Formats: sequence, C-alpha cells, structure tokens
Amino acid sequence: MPESPSTIALVGNPNSGKSTLFNALTGENQRVGNYAGVTVEVKTGETYSPQGKKLNVLDLPGCYSLRTSGSPDEKVAHDALTGELANLAKPDLVVCVVDASNLERHLQLALQVIELGIPCVLALNMVDIAEKSGLRLDPAKLTEELGIPVVPMQANAAKGIIELKQALRHPFPPPSEASWLELDSEDIEAKRRSFIARLCELAARRPDSHQHSLTDRLDSFFLHPVFGWIAFLAIMFSVFWAIFSFASIPMDMIDGALGSFGGWVESMLPEGDLRSLLVDGIIAGVGGVLVFLPQIILLFLFIGLLESSGYMSRAAFLMDGVMAKAGLSGKAFLPLFSSYACAIPGVMATRTIDSAKERLVTIFVAPWMSCSARLPVYFLIIPLLLHEDEGSWKQALILFLVYFLGTATAFIVARVLRGRLGPDKTVSHFMLELPSYRRPQWSYIFRHVIDRAWAFVRKAGTLILGLSILLWALATYPKTDSEDPGEVLAYSAMGRIGELIEPVVKPLGFDGRTGTAILTSFAAREVFVSSTAILFSVAETDDDEETRSLLRDKISNATWPDGRPLFTPLTMVSLLVFFIYALQCLPTTAVVAREAGSWKWALGQFFFMSGFAYVASLLVFQIGSLIWF
Amino acid sequence: MKTSQPVTRSLTLNEVGLNCDVRISSLDGPACDRLRDLGFCEQMQLRKISNGRNLVCTVCGAKMAISRELADQILVSPAR
Repeated sequence: MPESPSTIALVGNPNSGKSTLFNALTGENQRVGNYAGVTVEVKTGETYSPQGKKLNVLDLPGCYSLRTSGSPDEKVAHDALTGELANLAKPDLVVCVVDASNLERHLQLALQVIELGIPCVLALNMVDIAEKSGLRLDPAKLTEELGIPVVPMQANAAKGIIELKQALRHPFPPPSEASWLELDSEDIEAKRRSFIARLCELAARRPDSHQHSLTDRLDSFFLHPVFGWIAFLAIMFSVFWAIFSFASIPMDMIDGALGSFGGWVESMLPEGDLRSLLVDGIIAGVGGVLVFLPQIILLFLFIGLLESSGYMSRAAFLMDGVMAKAGLSGKAFLPLFSSYACAIPGVMATRTIDSAKERLVTIFVAPWMSCSARLPVYFLIIPLLLHEDEGSWKQALILFLVYFLGTATAFIVARVLRGRLGPDKTVSHFMLELPSYRRPQWSYIFRHVIDRAWAFVRKAGTLILGLSILLWALATYPKTDSEDPGEVLAYSAMGRIGELIEPVVKPLGFDGRTGTAILTSFAAREVFVSSTAILFSVAETDDDEETRSLLRDKISNATWPDGRPLFTPLTMVSLLVFFIYALQCLPTTAVVAREAGSWKWALGQFFFMSGFAYVASLLVFQIGSLIWF
Repeated sequence: MKTSQPVTRSLTLNEVGLNCDVRISSLDGPACDRLRDLGFCEQMQLRKISNGRNLVCTVCGAKMAISRELADQILVSPAR
C-alpha cells in the first residue's frame, strides 16, 4: 500500500518570509509582499524530501501568537497546527520561520509551537539582514538550547533551501522537551520571556550602539509630517498617470492587431450571419475588453512594487489619521488600496484588522474603491467627455477625481456605519510593523502580474465571449426585411428588451441600449464595453486610428428618436457616477458572504450599493438638467 | 519638542524624548498581551524615533508604529 505523504506546516510572524519560503519549496506562485498579512488563508503545495518522498506543505497565515482568542489569523494557525481545521491533516512537522534580525520577537511564537509537542525545524531566515545590522548569530547554540534543528537561510535568494530540505528528511526530529517550562517563574509567558532573553544574549547578540540604517534615512523622509505626505501624493498620482499614459503604446498595438484581424476575417468570409457573428459579435466584444489588458497589468505591477519594497506600510502609517476620520484605522489602508486592483483580495486582506466591527465596515465599503474592471468603462467614457484622444493629463486628473469620489463616499459611509455598529467589546489600538525597505522581488511580482493578466484574458475568453455571442444573437434575431440598422435593432430581441428597460433608466439620461449594456454589466463590469460595441453596431476595421475612435464616434453621434444627442456631457457624468457606485461583480458578493460569515451582509451590500448608484446617477442627471437647461 | 532628554525615572513611552534608549520596566493596561506579542516585553531595550498621532520606535531590531494609547501602557526606565 502506498504511504500517504507527510504534512509540513510553515508558521511564522507576519513578514518573516514565510510565503517566499513556501514559493521556493513548492515552486508555487503565491503572492509575496513586504507587508504584514499577505497570506490570509492556508495555502497548500507539494515538495519532495531528499529521499524523494512527497510532502504536503501548508502555508499558515502570519500570526504573533497562537492565542485562540486573538485575530482570525491566529485562530486559523492554531487550529491548523492542532489538527482542528476541517479538511486539513494535522502536520507531522512544523517549520517555524523566524526573521533572524528580529529573534526576540519571533521566538515567542516558535516556543509556543514547540510546546504543542510537534516535531519542529527552525528556519532562521534573513540572516543577511541580521548580519548587516551587526547581529552576531550562533545557530549551533540556538539548536542546542531549543532542542530542534536550526537552519540559517535567505529564502529570497534561495540560499539555505537545500539545507532546509535536508532537515525535512525522514525520520523527522523528535519533539523538543521545551526546557523553559521548568524555569522558576509565575506564568508561562514570563518563563518564555526570560528564556528568550537568555538565549538571545547567548546566540544572537546585538551591537551596543544603535546604527543609522538606510531604512532610517529613507523613513526620515517618507514618514516626515510634510515631505512624507508630498511623497505619498506624488507616488499615488504617478501610479494613476502612468496607468493612463504608459499603457497607450501596447494598447495601440493590441487595437491595431485586432483591427487587422477583423479586416482579414471580413475579407475572407462572404457577407452573412457567420461573418457578422465573428466580426461584430466576437472580435468587437472580446477585443473591446482585451484592449484594456495593459492598464490592468500596470495597476497590479505598481501595487506589487509598493508592497514588495516596504512602502505600503509607510502609507498605512501616514493614512491612519485620515482613516480615523472614517472610523477606521491605518490597518484598513492595505485592504482598501488592494481593492483598487480587485475587491476580492482586498476583502480577504481585511483579516489582519483586529477589530471585528472595523473589519465588517471595511468589507462593506471595499467595492467602492474603483477596481480594475471599471477601468475599461472609464477609459471609454473619459476621453469622450473631453472630446479628445486618450492619454492627456486632463484625463488623468478626471480619473483621479473618479477614484477620489468613490473613496470619499466609502469613507463617509464607513463613518456612518461605524457609528451605528457601536464600539467593539475589546478596544483595539493601532500597531503596525514598518519592515526594512527591500529591493522588490521582481520574479514574484512578475509572476503575480502574469497570473492576474491571465485571469483577465481567461475571463475575456469565457464569460465575455459567451455574453458577446448571446448579445449578438439578441441584437440580430428575430430578423426583419429592412436594411436600416436602426430598424433591424429595434425589431430584434435586444431592441425589445431595451424598450422594456428604457422607462427605468431614462430618468438617469440613458436610452434602452445603454440600459441593456448596464444590465449585462451586472455579470462583470467590463462587459459594458463589449455590450456597447455590439449594441451600437461597431465593427473592427484594419485602420488603427479609425478602430480606436469608432466606438466613441458611434456613441457621440448616437441620438434619441427626436434627434437630440444621446450622450451629452451630463449623461456621461451620470454614467460614470453609476459605475463608480454600483456593485456589479458576482464573485465579490460570494467572497463577502464568506468573509463576513453572512449572506445577509453580502446581499445587503449588493442592494445598498446598486440602489445608491441608481439614486446618485438620478440626482446627478436631474439636478444637472435643471442647472444647465 | 523634547529631543535626547535623559530618562531618570519610570515614565510612559509617550513622555520619553526622541532618540532616547530606554528599557521597558513594566506593562500596565488591557493591551499587555498584544504588546508582548509584538516584542514589547519587560527588560527589552527600545528607542523612540518619532512622535505624533502614532509613535515610531525600534524594539528587538524591528521598527514598530503604535498608537499613543498603547504607548501609555508601556512604562520605561533608563537603558543603563
């Protein structure tokens, strides 16, 4: 009978390099950040021992202790180690990952793990940083005192991985005796503290004088009450500006390739339903969304860079005062900032927030941080609003304002909601580790970005492709003898749906076609662009410039039956406002239900946000109409 | 703002001047366990780096930001 593989758990403080080690051991592509709380659930992978035996590897969430009354992450780590977590085997060996430059703190958790009586190996990570700071490490002494194998390593440079794998060979080392439990002290925590103090004196002596490191020098600027804010605003604005301007070159290339492909298909096939399906349905629909891939890649790249370099926690530190005005703390900054890329990782990152009520409020408002799926819609509307081509600083400014509006509303609603939920049973205060600045780990950032880009392309190839075909069919059948495109559309199923929807969306300034495009975007926001392309009968051409502006031309030339322009500046602002506020993402609702532990909360959020979007859009259009006309 | 003021008696971390090296003499308050988890244990040496809404200090080689309410629960005495 084949032997079942042993299970190894990686456990450590946040930011100890656990995820880097997990990736190095398993070859997986888990996200790595220089920020506490990147691992928010138990990740699993596989590796092989030096004897060629398969080992299951668990990456547990970073935690400071194994107290079951602590944060959700601490409870998950405790339950995984004691075998109380459903669907996960109790680990046969635990690798305690500690930051060698920060042993006094990291050993607290390691001792608690050893006390559980499970065989342990201590991965003494980041020895390079420890040595640079002048720490004199003695791994042999640590092994002797702790009674477990100690492996010095530098996981981000793959140094020490082979030695660690040697320590994972069968038979596993016996559990340590936990000699500190015999010390003469009043409580167990005091016993651990006095043991660690003595151990560090013996095996990890610090230099006597405080050294002024590069991180200290950088922090004197980035945490400065004036220069720090200037740097923060400059970094954030640069991110948005770069997304808008740098992406235009690859976007033009994708656009040109799609245009040529559409032209080639058109020239190869005779006129008919098949050509119409391929050119007007699939290429226009899927291509219209794919063209925004470069912007999405850039957004994830910048977020990865900020996290990996260590700047993100400085931003959280600076933002604590601002977040407090919304009843939140600086710890809500990372979840909310991540939500600019995608609300799903943002909602999951709220697990690092200590206060349960603050966590619920952060989950509730996270989808109002404009995510990357909204970008295609913004990029379609904003240039149209200014009557110009893509890429100017004015458009970047409007995009910045769009993000600001979503964020400001999220803060106001968070404030109101926080007040209504009342104070927590146990008061929690702001505490955050500011890790040393590190060179970004490019390989992991690129792998993460490629992962996200692939997820986007896969969505375009499945959900958006399917909806594009459905929309094309609805806009084509049933057929009429008329040659006029307007009459053809009005006679089709889509025209009839639009007619039904029009009374609901007309007060917002939209016609039935726009209403239908909005309706389809409740499956996924970016579908709006492909729906609009199909509904306004836009085909790809082989001319770059023409293809790029064709959809905008069609939209700006579209009229109501009485000849009034359909998309006035006010209509476009109303449309922007709707997309800033509406929660049009089914996976987000599912993740919110899981993280908040309540479908009621998730559905409440969905209906509240959709209703808010409708009312906000209605107010913008109606009040705007009164003022301007 | 006080800077480099020598510490001569037991103070809370809030009362210590900037860039002073101090030793934690005791923790007193509801967040003691959390502080110890983060490395703010009795007898640990720390240095306060900045003041403000939240304080920044180095403890056991790590740089930590903590609120003023937490700093009030950390009692310190001169490092040596």
